[in-house]
Amino acid sequence: MSDAPRSPRPRGFFLSRVNAIAANTLLELVRQKVFYFMLLFAAIAMGVALLASGMPFIEQFQVLKDAALGAMSIFSWLLVTLATAMILPKDIEDRTLYTMLAKPVSRFEYLLGKLAGVMLLLLVAMGLMGLFFAGALFIREHLAIAEALRDYGDGPDGQAAVAAIRQAAFTPTLLAALALIFTKSAICAALTLLLSTFATSWIFTVMISVVVYIIGHVQPVAREYWLEQSGEAPSMLLRAFLGFVSLIFPDFQLYNIIDEIVVGNAVPLSMFVQAFGLGLGYVLVYTIVGYLFFSSREL
Amino acid sequence: MPFQRQRVVAVEDLSLTVEPGQVYGLLGPNGSGKSTTMKIVLGLVAPTSGTTEIFGCDSSHVSSREQVGFLPENPYFYKFLTGLETLEFFGKLCGLCGAALRARARELLALVRLEDAADRRIGGYSKGMLQRIGLAQALIQEPRLLVLDEPTAGVDPAGSREIRDLILAFKERGITVLLCSHLLEQVQEICDRVGILHRGKLIREGKLDDLISIENQTELILENASPPLLARIREAVAAGGARVVDERRPKQNLERFFLDVTRGKS
Amino acid sequence: MRARLLGVAILLGFGALRLPFELSLEKQQRALHYHGAKLDMSVRQQLTQMSFVAALSGFRSIVASVLALEAHTAWQRTDWGAVKVIYDTICAMTPRNIQAWDMGGWHMAYNASVSAREDSRTERLALRLRAEREYFKLGEDFYLRGIQNNPDRSMLYERLATIYRDKFKDPLKASEYFGLAAQQPDAMQYVHRFTVYELAKVPGREQEAYQRLRALYDKGEEEHLPTLLRLLGELEEKLNIPRDERRIREPSQHP
Repeated sequence: MSDAPRSPRPRGFFLSRVNAIAANTLLELVRQKVFYFMLLFAAIAMGVALLASGMPFIEQFQVLKDAALGAMSIFSWLLVTLATAMILPKDIEDRTLYTMLAKPVSRFEYLLGKLAGVMLLLLVAMGLMGLFFAGALFIREHLAIAEALRDYGDGPDGQAAVAAIRQAAFTPTLLAALALIFTKSAICAALTLLLSTFATSWIFTVMISVVVYIIGHVQPVAREYWLEQSGEAPSMLLRAFLGFVSLIFPDFQLYNIIDEIVVGNAVPLSMFVQAFGLGLGYVLVYTIVGYLFFSSREL
Repeated sequence: MPFQRQRVVAVEDLSLTVEPGQVYGLLGPNGSGKSTTMKIVLGLVAPTSGTTEIFGCDSSHVSSREQVGFLPENPYFYKFLTGLETLEFFGKLCGLCGAALRARARELLALVRLEDAADRRIGGYSKGMLQRIGLAQALIQEPRLLVLDEPTAGVDPAGSREIRDLILAFKERGITVLLCSHLLEQVQEICDRVGILHRGKLIREGKLDDLISIENQTELILENASPPLLARIREAVAAGGARVVDERRPKQNLERFFLDVTRGKS
Repeated sequence: MRARLLGVAILLGFGALRLPFELSLEKQQRALHYHGAKLDMSVRQQLTQMSFVAALSGFRSIVASVLALEAHTAWQRTDWGAVKVIYDTICAMTPRNIQAWDMGGWHMAYNASVSAREDSRTERLALRLRAEREYFKLGEDFYLRGIQNNPDRSMLYERLATIYRDKFKDPLKASEYFGLAAQQPDAMQYVHRFTVYELAKVPGREQEAYQRLRALYDKGEEEHLPTLLRLLGELEEKLNIPRDERRIREPSQHP
């Protein structure tokens, strides 16, 4: 046997490899110009909401929250869908995938690292948009307070108006709304990654992802038809198809409790917990299934 | 039929062994199965039947790759990373970290003569620099086996010579090398054994010297031989029952000439 | 191939596992009147195609907000028909948005009604008054539907009571709805007093109103507000309450 240098035992472990891939993915995605355009459009959408100044202040806050949370919802979804759809095809096309998998990195670690990188991007994007939202809410709140003090003076009526404005402006449940938006986008990211493990082009992945997103919002309708026989019974074929839709597609309607938060309605904590738990389940399952598809893919 | 994928047999009945410390050249025309063979060795593709082992470890296991460094053809790395960051990234994938990783990365950058470009983004690297950084990342975890796919493709003669010298240095250190190349002259200079693939089958395999030497011919190179001496040699050859096949002045190769001229100019 | 089949099996298995959980969660949300009315053809007709797709895709709230801006513009144009239709749509999409019910009701009962009464294009006063009353009813309808969808929100009862008091001049109904408002967990402090104030105006209910006003007075100084003191004094006079039992000694001194 030659006196070849012995390779050292691997000093890292699963998490360190996943971290390295995640950090690299985040760095790669943050450098994309599309990221900055998305943030800019989200900021514009929120800024436009500040124009609703002629309305009563409660409505102003609702419009602002609707616009901001809606913008964050749309742009975070678009961001993760586009970002996730491109990472795998790009690595395959550039053959960086081979270089990485030629290291002691399993396909699962690779996939998980990529997904973690996208989640980090989502966190960064939502953090920035959240800051902008907080700023817009702060400005609107203070403008409304100034107006109220001007109209009602500094006496008890004015103070009551100020208290009502503050109550309508920032509510702690807004943080839960942000968490729900994050969860919904995280599900979309995991789903898009799953699609990209067997898709042949990123455009296909994006298109299917968009279709699944829309179907996911009307999924409860499909479920209702499948489970309830009301009036005319649907045919066996239709029932089977609707059943398949219910089983495969995620139910995104469950995350629209954000609307209730915007109008200031109380949402039970248990509902949040269930929604987050369900989201975690979706992400886990989609990641595992994505790995299974990826593991058998010929590179 | 439209949606039916045609089955292609990329590699068939392939059986080869690369001894530790050897430089093995895998040759063949385009489409002969070289890339597929390398992917099987690296565990990127699963063979339909059969096994591949790297130092006794099944190559389909991730752990086998701890001992393998791979340089793909036309390597492409993340453009936004610097040379140093690229090596550190791949080092982390191999379990290295901290000061030890940084030191190892700098050591390899010095080995491949890229210290000055360590902090430059990969996007600004030339072809030769990309090959060298590719070699460096292949060595990051001190592998016992190097798999090199066209390591000198697209590189200028000077860069090519450097890479070849590096491979010879690896061989000196006992690192096993499996390399694919179209540049047969370079393969001839560095490989101990070669295997030739054609349409997925290994048609010839063995020690290089054994394969390419012409058994019944002997080469004799003389210096300062006078014409009478040459005439006497020709007579002796004929008297011995042999035949002078060719008589000519040996030439240095164009690469050597090029290097001598350009180095002299620089 | 085996891995792919396993993947599909896991997807279907997960689908089967999560289905009852999602159904349960959806039931909980529907019980709280979340998600609004089903997006059927009546709502579709009020929205553009893109808005309907957006609403279907989970952006009801956004679509509702955009419509609110449209309603604001329609108000500025005094296009009351458009205002009503838009708020009907907003409320259908976001029935838990009490602000939307309130705005719809307010526009109809106050702004549209005044506009109808003062509409110089209609010469006959009787016609103008009839139009005004019809807008009162439209406003009432918004609040009643809002209460149906949000039975636990005090504000809607209170606003409806105000309409009965100020527009319909129906103190009995006003008292009833102020009373319902006072029973809700988010009722404002003053609402329980308004119940009694209105009851005091109902012929034949003065005694009952007097008892309740006295009970409020006896609660303490915090209830000794000018309106309460005035009404209490007036009722003590009207009902000839014996002087030694009266709470208000000098009724004329209170406004």
